[in-house]
Amino acid sequence: MSTISIQHLTKIYGRSAAVDDVCIEIPKGSVFGLLGPNGAGKTTTFKCILGLARPSSGTTLIDGAPLVPAVFERLAYVPERSVLYEWMTAGEHMEAQRRSFKRYDPARATELFALFNLDARKRVRAMSKGMQTALAIVLAFASRPEILVLDEPTSGLDPVNQRAVLKLIIDAAAQGATVVLSSHQIGQVERAAEHIAILQDGKVVLNGAVDDLKYQRKIVEGIFESDAFSVNGFERDARISRVEKTGRILRLTVSDGSDGLAAGLVSQGAQSVRIVDLNLEDIFLNAVAPSQSTADVVEAS
Amino acid sequence: MPAIFTVDPRSGVPIYLQLTDQVKRSVALGVLQPGEQLPTVKQLALDLTINPNTVARAYRDLERDEIIETAPGRGSFVRGNGAAETSRAAASHVAHEALERAVREAKSIGLTRSRVRKLFNDALERWFPEEQ
Repeated sequence: MSTISIQHLTKIYGRSAAVDDVCIEIPKGSVFGLLGPNGAGKTTTFKCILGLARPSSGTTLIDGAPLVPAVFERLAYVPERSVLYEWMTAGEHMEAQRRSFKRYDPARATELFALFNLDARKRVRAMSKGMQTALAIVLAFASRPEILVLDEPTSGLDPVNQRAVLKLIIDAAAQGATVVLSSHQIGQVERAAEHIAILQDGKVVLNGAVDDLKYQRKIVEGIFESDAFSVNGFERDARISRVEKTGRILRLTVSDGSDGLAAGLVSQGAQSVRIVDLNLEDIFLNAVAPSQSTADVVEAS
Repeated sequence: MPAIFTVDPRSGVPIYLQLTDQVKRSVALGVLQPGEQLPTVKQLALDLTINPNTVARAYRDLERDEIIETAPGRGSFVRGNGAAETSRAAASHVAHEALERAVREAKSIGLTRSRVRKLFNDALERWFPEEQ
């Protein structure tokens, strides 16, 4: 059973849909990355999962049931915008957390304070953005949550502390926790997450296991003798999501295996063909690129 | 545990494939000895800062290919039974991948079957002359 199940979720603000018919299943014990440009609907999706925003339609389930208050005892949420109190110290936040969560583990909290070099006596208003992020992370992980919802959990952190956060996420997942995170740092999602969904304009434009997406998505590149070549048939191949012609070079972006395409290019006169692997950033940029019908041939300059 | 594993998460090659490939190479070369223990899934995930289920997937594939075996509660080990066979199997897997890639590439650039066979025979003769 999925730990978090999002079914046909739609959230309308005013006249526009911030989230538009989103369906996502997040399996127990997995790390799920939610990617998307600014304003794509990631934060709204999180808020709907957590009951902080009421869906216009659709449902979100946790462990197969609608959200109930008891879930919050084993769930931690790190919102994109700090919800820390400016006038309180780090230590006072920790104390408040201890009182609110039965699962709160003081030894773990102390360990995490040391990990991020946090000073318990320091007031939030005197902290840098990075220190505030670190404090929010420490408070979230100190209660050893089973479900973690992390909205941009590394923003403002230096590379050392970003890595520390990734290791906390991996450690939690290895112990069976379910993590959903959003980040603009695609490289971090590529490391920590096994599944991703890409949101754009409130819709899921891509959803899958990172390794499977890398396995299936390739660019097949053919080089022709002159730039006057013509190619036929590719616009009807459902596997090809983009056809790009640049001088003597033809690049086909394929989304579901490239079998036969290279040979096809050769039979149409390509002098050489290579198959290029795509990393998650390439896959992301491709997914959110201005949409094109498969019949389009882009004349790049 | 020697730091023999490295992965490049930013590469377009799936991480679990990078891992299985490295373990097979290490076993083929004897860097990992039969019976030697592999890091736990959690340890390797933390060391490499990658998803634990991705490591688990690599370990499952290695078990399926009979390169490693997992004893519940004790961990994963390079197969010790028929040690020479394990090492040969690992070497074969590595060579198989390399040959697949080469033949696929040859086909993709339009070479004929007989042409590829000739190239293969030439290479075989160059590297294994006395076995001709």
